[in-house]
Amino acid sequence: MLETVVQAVINGLLIGGIYALVSIGVTLIFGVVKIVNFAQGEFVMIGMYISFYLASQFGIDPIVSLVVSMPALFVVGVLVQHFLIRRVLGPNDMPQIFLTFALSLLLLNLALLLFSANYRTVHTSYSDEAFHLAGLYIPVAKLIAFVVAMGLSGALWVFLHATDLGKAMRAAAQNRDVATLMGINPDRVFCVALGVALALAGAAGSLLMPFYSAYPFVGQVFVLMAFVAVVMGTLGNVIGALIASLLMGVAESLGIQFVGADSGLIVVFALLLLTLAFKPNGLGGGRVR
Amino acid sequence: MADISKWKVLSLAALVVVMLVLPQVVKSSFAVDIFIRILLFSFIGVAWNLMGGYAKQLSLGHAAYFGLGAYTSTIMQVDSGISPWIGMVAGGGVAMLASLPIGWLCFRLRGPYFTIATIATAQALMLIFLKFRDLAWGAEGTTIPNLGSSPLMMQFEGKAAYYYVVLGLLALGLVITWRIERSWMGYYLVAIGENEDAAEAIGVNAPRIKRDIYMISAFLTALAGTFYVQYIYFIDPATAFNFNISIEAALVSIVGGIGTLWGPVIGTVLLETTSALLQSWLGGSTGGVQLTVYALILMTVILWRPAGLMGMVSDAYRRYVSRKPARA
Repeated sequence: MLETVVQAVINGLLIGGIYALVSIGVTLIFGVVKIVNFAQGEFVMIGMYISFYLASQFGIDPIVSLVVSMPALFVVGVLVQHFLIRRVLGPNDMPQIFLTFALSLLLLNLALLLFSANYRTVHTSYSDEAFHLAGLYIPVAKLIAFVVAMGLSGALWVFLHATDLGKAMRAAAQNRDVATLMGINPDRVFCVALGVALALAGAAGSLLMPFYSAYPFVGQVFVLMAFVAVVMGTLGNVIGALIASLLMGVAESLGIQFVGADSGLIVVFALLLLTLAFKPNGLGGGRVR
Repeated sequence: MADISKWKVLSLAALVVVMLVLPQVVKSSFAVDIFIRILLFSFIGVAWNLMGGYAKQLSLGHAAYFGLGAYTSTIMQVDSGISPWIGMVAGGGVAMLASLPIGWLCFRLRGPYFTIATIATAQALMLIFLKFRDLAWGAEGTTIPNLGSSPLMMQFEGKAAYYYVVLGLLALGLVITWRIERSWMGYYLVAIGENEDAAEAIGVNAPRIKRDIYMISAFLTALAGTFYVQYIYFIDPATAFNFNISIEAALVSIVGGIGTLWGPVIGTVLLETTSALLQSWLGGSTGGVQLTVYALILMTVILWRPAGLMGMVSDAYRRYVSRKPARA
């Protein structure tokens, strides 16, 4: 019994690392630009297809293809901010919500047209490998994904706290007007925020590829988790999103283990609704919006 | 000005006559099917627009009420033989009741997170109907027994009768919207939509108004759900709680003109006509094409015409008919 619980917790933590990359992106964009990116899951999907094609055409390992998917999606993020999101920033909610929602709809259905609904997988030499430790089973591909995801999250934290650009982003998140008065160019900071957030989504896609299938709807799974984690972890809070994502991974995994294979999502929704009912400002407190 | 309102009454009367005669003139069942879709989604859009358009509570979870309406009437009909006409109203009641706890949860959040919470509640309801087979047939769903022509059970021969039913629903939705638009509640809704904090500061009881309009919106959406499953004779959770219903409800209103009486109708005419044309050009293999085009239309409207098609119409009206300068 204890072994089953520990195993479920480990599985949850490993996938929670991937959720964290997606939710940190969502919460970073929300914190800095004050919009919710409904299309974040679709950028995970794009990252997966980039890695899939690099692996199937050129035999490049999906983990190695991070060095392509992250910069590519950084550029996409800057373009999306500059040409789309910048034009709808203002007091009105409707264009902001529905612009990124339309972008999500567009990317998802374009993927359906271009790549068809087929599941694409990449088989690596370590896809079926696993460590066996004291009766526990730890798949290598998921462990690599988790370690790299945590490494990237740590790198982001250092970037936000130790570089001028990162500090400028935090300043813009805290008070945009005052930051502008201090000589920070909000347009540039917003472009970087979108770029970094999308690069993280791209990284999540590449890291998933050795053990997960790519298909047009795949992003929806991850973005839903990310939204719940971001609400639980207090909107705009990077560390909160990270911790909440790991918790969500564990909760989902325990749900699958003890309630039923199709119950992972029910547990996630239940968590979201309970959070909304009792801690609408997130587990860490703080302000809504 | 009297001339203009006379024109309005006349054109409305002409529209009513055209709509009533249409299925008598156009006999193609393919065409009538498209008309029914247009009327149905216009009606769902009108229901969404009451809350999403006037009060700017941008829900993407109206499939919840569509599904509850559909399931309530179907369960009553299949298990107890109760007429869907009664089931339809009962479904509306169930949706109104369900909107209370759902609203209580979702209205705690504002803006985009309200939207996410509504998505989650609709998806959660679908999962409940999928998982708990004792509730209603689980994932396989059920076919609705075909009794041939029996108007008392909302089953008709030929599509024209369905057309008139959904035309009646749309008329109901438009009249309710028109009455609300001109009442105190309409002004409260617009005030909440413009700035909720400011509205509360001048004494608008925003939580109560939002709760009431959500109940009305849920009630109407549930009627559409009952109609739809009666029309296609089939129900399962993926049909009744389909996310595309939530999307289309919002989409037609935004494209047509959010917070206007006719916006959802005009938006649906544009989107459904586009979709029908695409289907006839590309044949059956349209996977992804329709929603790709919808997404492009939506982005175009948001970036260049946030007031939607109605905004363009009223600008043109000001410019050419009443000769007042267009709004900036």
